[in-house]
Amino acid sequence: MTIDILFIWTAFKEILKALPTTLFLTILPLFAGFLIGLAVALIRIYKVKYLSGVANGYVSFFRGTPIIMHIMLIYFGLPLLIDQISAKFDWGFQSNSIPISLFVLTALSLSAGAYLSEIFRSGIISVSNGQMEAAYSIGMNTFQAMTRIVLPQAMAQSIPNFTNIFIGFLHTSSIAFIVSQKEITGAANIVASTNLKFLESFIAAGFIYWGLTIMAEGLSFFIEKKATAYNRGGLQ
Amino acid sequence: MIYLKDIRKSFNQQPVLKGINLKVGKGEVVAILGPSGSGKTTLLRCLNFLDKPDEGIVQVGDVQVKTKKATKREILSLRRQSAMVFQHYNLFAHKTVLENVMEGLIVTKKYKKTDAKRESELMLKKVGLEDKHHHYPSQLSGGQQQRVGIARALALNPQVILFDEPTSALDPELVGEVLSVIKTIAQEGITMVIVTHEMSFAREVSDRVLFMDGGVIVEEGSPLEIFNAPKEERTRQFLNRISRDIPIPYLEEKAN
Repeated sequence: MTIDILFIWTAFKEILKALPTTLFLTILPLFAGFLIGLAVALIRIYKVKYLSGVANGYVSFFRGTPIIMHIMLIYFGLPLLIDQISAKFDWGFQSNSIPISLFVLTALSLSAGAYLSEIFRSGIISVSNGQMEAAYSIGMNTFQAMTRIVLPQAMAQSIPNFTNIFIGFLHTSSIAFIVSQKEITGAANIVASTNLKFLESFIAAGFIYWGLTIMAEGLSFFIEKKATAYNRGGLQ
Repeated sequence: MIYLKDIRKSFNQQPVLKGINLKVGKGEVVAILGPSGSGKTTLLRCLNFLDKPDEGIVQVGDVQVKTKKATKREILSLRRQSAMVFQHYNLFAHKTVLENVMEGLIVTKKYKKTDAKRESELMLKKVGLEDKHHHYPSQLSGGQQQRVGIARALALNPQVILFDEPTSALDPELVGEVLSVIKTIAQEGITMVIVTHEMSFAREVSDRVLFMDGGVIVEEGSPLEIFNAPKEERTRQFLNRISRDIPIPYLEEKAN
């Protein structure tokens, strides 16, 4: 077997068409996970009655099992559940009318929420207690102190960790191809098997992931520099 | 202005305040002295519920809170009667000097931004930092940070300003600038409670000195009474120990 260098470029162009799907499967779960993660982190920090137990279990399970498992469980389990409930209440609703991508998005969002909640939690804890006390001392309530003083600092400090998660989920979105989502890896697989040029196709896909990651790192570095300027002794 | 009745507070079953009663009049400057672990900082923090007393009544301005029945709203309105200057400054790290001072005015006093800015600039001028508006706390010396802390407290125009060892974390050569700012505002008739280890400062600035030890107020009186003729043995011991640590008269003699 020889390698067809030129075909890498052909495959690259073909696979790139799947980029929107990959970005969609990365950014949407991270956005949902951001909200879930923030809520879960706050619930755990403030030890909210009843909810904190649920939150602990959620984080433990989703961080303790592989993401591919979440996709499988939700892809096979959720339709079963929906159909049972639907039949019981006579809704006449069939789970196969739900697009597959919705299951994938749900699974990835729940995983992202678990990982991001730990990042938020560490970010919030890293802000010194004195900041909260100072906010209280000038008459702020807990919500104001959290949103105006603690969270902005926690977020700024968490940027490198967010980038890690973003990169992780960008690459993890590739496993959506096992439930036949045509994202970058899925597309590479199709190009590879229709042209019988496996190595070239996956090299092309590799370059796309790598390029995206480098761009994400650059952007993160830039945002981090802006967001934590206050800590570096440099002027705005 | 301040009224405390039978304030008790324990940390992990270890009593820190054992029934404090105190009245502070309007415009009075009260210094609290005492060895470390005597409960003086905890007492100060009970005044704005940064530490919640276990028992007793706290009144600041016209807001009275019975500790056992304290609601969130009561605690919030109690806190809005006072402002605090912290040992470790606790400036909002992600906000500039000007924003630090403006924050309380905008959030809790509902000032318009332009009014808050004007007021804050005035306060920063008062503490001698009119040229540092756009610096971040990390770019300032300890003394400058503490003066921002004072401006932040002052801007709220509170009934009482609470100082928690305002110079304890400072380099010796920076202590003077902070103390002189506090002296200036003490002369303006603002009620102040100051926990401090600066004896000569306490003597100079305060109207009344409290000496605390073991969670109780051992002795109180005018600075003259406490420093020159302490009645209690424990006060005497403490003052002796302090003056042995800083043998200034001895050094002065030697220099001469």
